[in-house]
Amino acid sequence: MARAPDPDRDRHGWKWLLSAPALVVLVLAASGPLLIVAVYSFLSPGNMGGVAWEPSLEGWFKVFFSRDIFDPENVSWNTANLTVFWRTVWLSIQTTLICAVLGFPTAWFIATRPPHRRALWLFLITIPFWTNLLIRTFAIQELIRGTGMLNTVLLALHVIDEPLQLLYSNFAILLGMAYVFLPLMVLPLYAAMDKLDFRLVEAGYDLYASRWRVLWHVILPLVKPGFVAGSILVFIPSIGAYVTPRVLGGGRTMMLGNLIALQFGQGRNWPLGAALAMLLLILVTVALVVYLRAVNAEDEEKRHG
Amino acid sequence: MTPEIEITGLSKVFGQGAAAFRALTDIDLTVGTGEFFTLLGPSGCGKTTLLRMIAGFEAPTTGSLRINGDEVAGKGPNARPVNTVFQNYALFPHMTVAQNIGFGLKMLGRPRAEVDTTVAEMLRLVRMEAMAGRKPSEISGGQQQRVALARALAPRPRVLLLDEPLSALDLKLRKEMQSELKRLQSETGITFVFVTHDQEEALTMSDRIAVMSAGRILQLGTPHDIYHAPADRFVADFIGDTNFLTLPVIAVSGARATLTLPGGQTAEAILPDGVAPTPGQSVTAILRPEQAILTEPPGATLTATVRSAVFFGTDTHLHLTLGDGQPFVLRRQNTGDLPVPEPGSIVGLTLGPGVLRVVRD
Amino acid sequence: MARAYDVRRLPGFGAIALLTFVLLYLPILVLVVFSFNAGSSQSEWDGFSLQWYAAAFANQQVQDVSIRSLWLAAVAAGVATALAVPAALATTRVSRFPGQTMIYALINQPLMVPEIVTGIALLICVAWVKVNTGYTGMGYLVAAHTAFCIPFAYLPIRARLETLDPTLERAASDLYASPVQAFRFITLPLLVPGIAAGFMLGFVISLDTVVITEFVKSAGQDTLPTYMLGQLRRIITPEMNAIATLFLALSLVFVTAFFLITRKRG
Repeated sequence: MARAPDPDRDRHGWKWLLSAPALVVLVLAASGPLLIVAVYSFLSPGNMGGVAWEPSLEGWFKVFFSRDIFDPENVSWNTANLTVFWRTVWLSIQTTLICAVLGFPTAWFIATRPPHRRALWLFLITIPFWTNLLIRTFAIQELIRGTGMLNTVLLALHVIDEPLQLLYSNFAILLGMAYVFLPLMVLPLYAAMDKLDFRLVEAGYDLYASRWRVLWHVILPLVKPGFVAGSILVFIPSIGAYVTPRVLGGGRTMMLGNLIALQFGQGRNWPLGAALAMLLLILVTVALVVYLRAVNAEDEEKRHG
Repeated sequence: MTPEIEITGLSKVFGQGAAAFRALTDIDLTVGTGEFFTLLGPSGCGKTTLLRMIAGFEAPTTGSLRINGDEVAGKGPNARPVNTVFQNYALFPHMTVAQNIGFGLKMLGRPRAEVDTTVAEMLRLVRMEAMAGRKPSEISGGQQQRVALARALAPRPRVLLLDEPLSALDLKLRKEMQSELKRLQSETGITFVFVTHDQEEALTMSDRIAVMSAGRILQLGTPHDIYHAPADRFVADFIGDTNFLTLPVIAVSGARATLTLPGGQTAEAILPDGVAPTPGQSVTAILRPEQAILTEPPGATLTATVRSAVFFGTDTHLHLTLGDGQPFVLRRQNTGDLPVPEPGSIVGLTLGPGVLRVVRD
Repeated sequence: MARAYDVRRLPGFGAIALLTFVLLYLPILVLVVFSFNAGSSQSEWDGFSLQWYAAAFANQQVQDVSIRSLWLAAVAAGVATALAVPAALATTRVSRFPGQTMIYALINQPLMVPEIVTGIALLICVAWVKVNTGYTGMGYLVAAHTAFCIPFAYLPIRARLETLDPTLERAASDLYASPVQAFRFITLPLLVPGIAAGFMLGFVISLDTVVITEFVKSAGQDTLPTYMLGQLRRIITPEMNAIATLFLALSLVFVTAFFLITRKRG
């Protein structure tokens, strides 16, 4: 039924008025500062950190290139930064893949439990999701350190002769990120499977498909939205990770988040840090746009299909 | 009849420009004090919009709406002596049955003692004394219905509005609540405005009915009038079952016309006001399935061929074809274990006096 | 008896799922178990003891940062919830209005932007404000945490509002309630579970926030997570496990309460 064009409803002022307090706080302590970061990325570094109010593209330049100290005209690729970018993207992709491989069977397992048990299994996935990321990273650190549980057990079983040096490596970061972000993959996958009409799966078997063919041709296409949402939910925090690489990567194995932080600490190059932060924001935005495109395409398909 | 609700020239348009939708057009209506008045029509006819406008949830685009003589068009629902029983009951889930019933009086600022007395009285009226402390989720659908009624009646409104309140109940409970509603109305003397799409419900319960379609009132009258003298083809079709026959006119005299029946015999039909066909023209006449009597073909007013017979227990429906090929349904009361005519056999029909009626198309 | 063909079964999936659950809980379990270790090893069990808990409780610095964390979480979640309720009322169950998308984007921004970016953005602004006002109090942390908690407080309130039947408010106004009375007696009481859930989520989020706090805090404003982050660089004793276990227990209480509140819907 049509809604009334009630004159009071057409005046939207009250909606803004009620939202205003929250928006003021958000603009002051979230959105506004981001704009200032954008501005800072185009300024010159100050002597003791901070910025000098002179416009400069040097911050953005240094994201990708470096100059020879003795010959400023001699420009080369900033391989240190590029290594960090590559590591960030590659580790995030690997994290997403690991989460998908482990998350899909887990979500399927939960979705196929009897309804009254599902809530409990789901709760078990949710607990790590809401418990402190730092503590979970700490738990991984304790487990894989030289004298940690993993090495102790492997040594006792004579699988290895000397402790594995797992900590402070790409592997440690990957393990940590997959561990902390896994629930973010399981939850949307579960949500998609929960809506799955199992009669379609039955129809697949009825039409002579094998289990793997049903999985590939019926189940996977139907839960694709869950995969897409889960992937974005894992990929975005991975690419912006700071705590996990800091704790598990040590000082040497950095990701983009740590590189940004470095510029505001020892690096004392705020414009470069600001430019790197904008770069991270752009990466996240691209990921989100790709996601939204995928969602819209899905909707479009449903509308026409 | 003392007028309780007076509606004149009321219209309602939703949206603007090309998307505008005319929900109600030029409604003129007077509901008398103490009347059980029903708005009847198919979904989308505007009956609920009209009810919501009386309640104060919608503002009319044009026209005036008076309750007990006061213009209420500009007043909110909380300033009108009108209460509503909502289709889904809208009981407050966080309050007990008693708190629900007392809510209106509390909002009116009545003293605590008066609220308690009225709540007790209302609980007795709807026979829910034992459930006073329960939450709405802890009582059955029929009981929720009673609480919704008690809650709306507690502030003693001048008018009680009921928005398809029985549609969520199963058949048996619905019948029970129908008589319950009639009892409550006669005990309280409050004017009831009842919205339904169920014509049988409307016929059995109402003092008067307004049949609505496409935002207009097509006919306003007693159940008897509406059933026996429908104003037009739509009303005749919507209320009860009807055979529509296209018949040529031989002669017209005053409010009556002589029509030729299939097979050549003639019959008198009543003309509605303002309809004056000329001889030779064809008109639509209605004949209810129970108004033709099954006889032997010799001496019958009409003869017909049986196509099929459907046994319903209390009666049998015979699907017939008249001499000129027009279909006709006849309902025969099963006063005993009567033989069912075979398909293909010829039967006779006689018409009682004054049953044939011309309707506007 | 022949077993029915189970269409839900996919070979190996159950095993992978159970392995996943084990992997999810094993590190936390090891961490918790060794918080009760009599020795100082993280891998060799020397008997049960509560000495590390005693040490944690006796540690003045741990006491300080814990109280600061709890205080900050309570204030930030409280303020964020108080701001989120009117915002949710204004943006839920209403006809579309100009700027609605922008309000959504603003409210959800802290969920989208990586914490490190928000962290350095706040660092820049706080540094500037400090230089110009000289103020170095907890206000910066409160503002930063509040903004970060708003979307988490907003979402459950909004979800609750969406399940609320609008005819209830209509029924209230039909029964002579003014708009304020309808809000006070109908909408608000029915919204309480959403508000409580929003507060708890905000509280847990504030308690967990480490990156933003790390960049916004002034000297001597460490919270429990930033204190732990600092300690992780050193030689770690099971005292850290004890602190982490207590922290986990607190989060668990809130998450469980949140679950119970949001499940009792309808």
